[in-house]
Amino acid sequence: MSEPVIEIRGLRKTFRDFWLRPVAEAVCGIDLTVEKGDVFGLLGPNGSGKSTTIKLVLGLLAPTAGTVRLFGLPPRARAARARLGYLPELSYLHPFLTARETLLYYAGLSGMDGKAAKARAAELLEQVGLSTVANRAVGGFSKGMARRVALAAALVAKPELLILDEPTSGLDPIGTHDVKELIRRLAGMGVTVVMTSHLLGDTEDVCTKIAILSKGKVAAFGRTDELLTRKQDARFTIAGLGEDEARAFAAEASAKFGRDVAFDHPRVPLEKFFAETVGEGR
Amino acid sequence: MRESFRLTLRALVRGHVMTLLVAAVALVHVLFPSIVRADNTASGWREMYVRAVPGFVVAVVLVVTLACACGFFSRERETNRLALTVVRPASAFCVAVGRWLALCGVAAVALVLNAALTFARLPDAPDCRHHVAPILPPPATVARQMMEEYLKDPSTPEAVRKAPRRRVLELLTNREKDRYDAIVPNESLSWTFPADSSRSGLAVRVCFSSASSMSRSARGTLTFGGLTGAVSNNTQTLVEIPLERTAAAAPVTNSLVFANTGAVAMMLRPRRDIELLLPADSFLANLFRATLQSLAVLALLAAFGIFLSAALSRPVAIFTALVMLAVALMAPDTLDQFTEELEVPLGDRIGLAFSRGVACVTSAFMAPTPVSDLATGRCIEWAELARTLLEDLLVWPAVFLSLSALVVRRRPLS
Repeated sequence: MSEPVIEIRGLRKTFRDFWLRPVAEAVCGIDLTVEKGDVFGLLGPNGSGKSTTIKLVLGLLAPTAGTVRLFGLPPRARAARARLGYLPELSYLHPFLTARETLLYYAGLSGMDGKAAKARAAELLEQVGLSTVANRAVGGFSKGMARRVALAAALVAKPELLILDEPTSGLDPIGTHDVKELIRRLAGMGVTVVMTSHLLGDTEDVCTKIAILSKGKVAAFGRTDELLTRKQDARFTIAGLGEDEARAFAAEASAKFGRDVAFDHPRVPLEKFFAETVGEGR
Repeated sequence: MRESFRLTLRALVRGHVMTLLVAAVALVHVLFPSIVRADNTASGWREMYVRAVPGFVVAVVLVVTLACACGFFSRERETNRLALTVVRPASAFCVAVGRWLALCGVAAVALVLNAALTFARLPDAPDCRHHVAPILPPPATVARQMMEEYLKDPSTPEAVRKAPRRRVLELLTNREKDRYDAIVPNESLSWTFPADSSRSGLAVRVCFSSASSMSRSARGTLTFGGLTGAVSNNTQTLVEIPLERTAAAAPVTNSLVFANTGAVAMMLRPRRDIELLLPADSFLANLFRATLQSLAVLALLAAFGIFLSAALSRPVAIFTALVMLAVALMAPDTLDQFTEELEVPLGDRIGLAFSRGVACVTSAFMAPTPVSDLATGRCIEWAELARTLLEDLLVWPAVFLSLSALVVRRRPLS
């Protein structure tokens, strides 16, 4: 078993009003472990406690009970924060800074020196496709461009743990595809990624582990493949099999195994089709 | 710290705060001189000009600085940008210091421009002078002696005997600060100063009163060794009387004598109404010191505003800062007017306790009066400036910025 990057034990968060009366129990005793190299998806409907859990992990909120450890340290420890990158749900950039200045600002806050920060900023701007607008104020950027800057800002200090809150929000399909590719590439480099998303398809595509929260509790937790695969059923794809041959094959299989056999024709995912179509046109 | 400094400076420059501030300074210097009215004397006009023009600019810079400071952390918290700063390994104290330095830098630009325009307008302003008060025992010492005498005296009212000693002592100290010396006609009274009559270019700044509140004619002679000055003014008016050398062979002394040659008894408060003026250095040097002193006060207020912005929401922080500023400005006058609080109603006593608390807390901010000193030609002493810089530019900002960092780190960001 690899080193746990995030360890959550018995985590509870109760929001209270001015008179300290409990108003809402957002998180009710969560236990989770995220290991090094995982791409972890935190899913759940609105009000399920996803954002609160993320804020507790980041140390932006103090837990009512339970513990959170990042790399074995409390989330507010400077050593833990030095290894962390965070992309919030909305980009929250300083509108008067240019894209390059934004990255240099966050690089500076992360303790990078000027020369290394400049090189890293240039590299990331190239990576997110914004090098041509690097000197434009981000206040004039589209939502998608701002999202790319925010993502680059989260990556600027080469974090070992990347927490992404709705990373594809506001991005076009190409941008979404690029971000997913980036997440896969980062995971390949050993970066641990924790992401929340309402787009289940995106989560399914990139996450190796998922946890589904409901009413502040973990309703399901495990490896994505294990949770989504129905091992009692089987599905075959036979290349070059036409409609009539497929019917005949299904009838034969049904007779042989004494069970209903269904078949369909594989579809290309729309995202792939869109990328191929637009990619050819570009 | 550097990143935070740059970010704030860019925000202030690109958000046009600096441009507007510089434009406001220039506008005040262009428009206000034409509306300044004085007593038709050059010195009167100069005093009014300094109070109205550079004084107004300092007030504007003060309000802008405080409003900007109150918006730093609170606005970032409202827009959720603070979370992005807090999750980085940077020290919250360094972030706060960076912001404070940038704000002080912008305020300094406005103040330097203000000083330059003031000097351009008053290139021939006379040199400033040391304002020296008479040598008197500390008011608290005098008050303690008075209290002992009161307690020995059988006619002392029971209310005074039962009152807390600390309160009575405070009351007597205030009385001593406002004690009047009376000089009846054809008699004289002297005060000792920590300077002697061997120097030239001396003057006396004095304000006489009479027993009635009406303005009366004050007549007499001021003598300081071989130097004399004639008094021929009205009471209730602050006047400056130059001392001319009339007796070359007179012995050197540090005793200033006032001989009342008028028809009515003259009164003055030795701790407030009489000062010996000694030549100091140039107006430019005093302007420089006044600018530094103003900057130190602004720096203190900026740090206080940053602390409020860390702890409160933006509107609440701005409201709190302005209310505290107003109370701080009013507290000394309130305390001056209501010194006899032993027999006042409970509500007033609570108000006085509050005013006293505010006056005590804000003494670091209220003590320096650079605009007033510049207007009256009072030399801001280097020691006084050093103390202001130490307290207002270093100690108090360090306290407020540390508290800001603590609050930023500890306060939940929902």
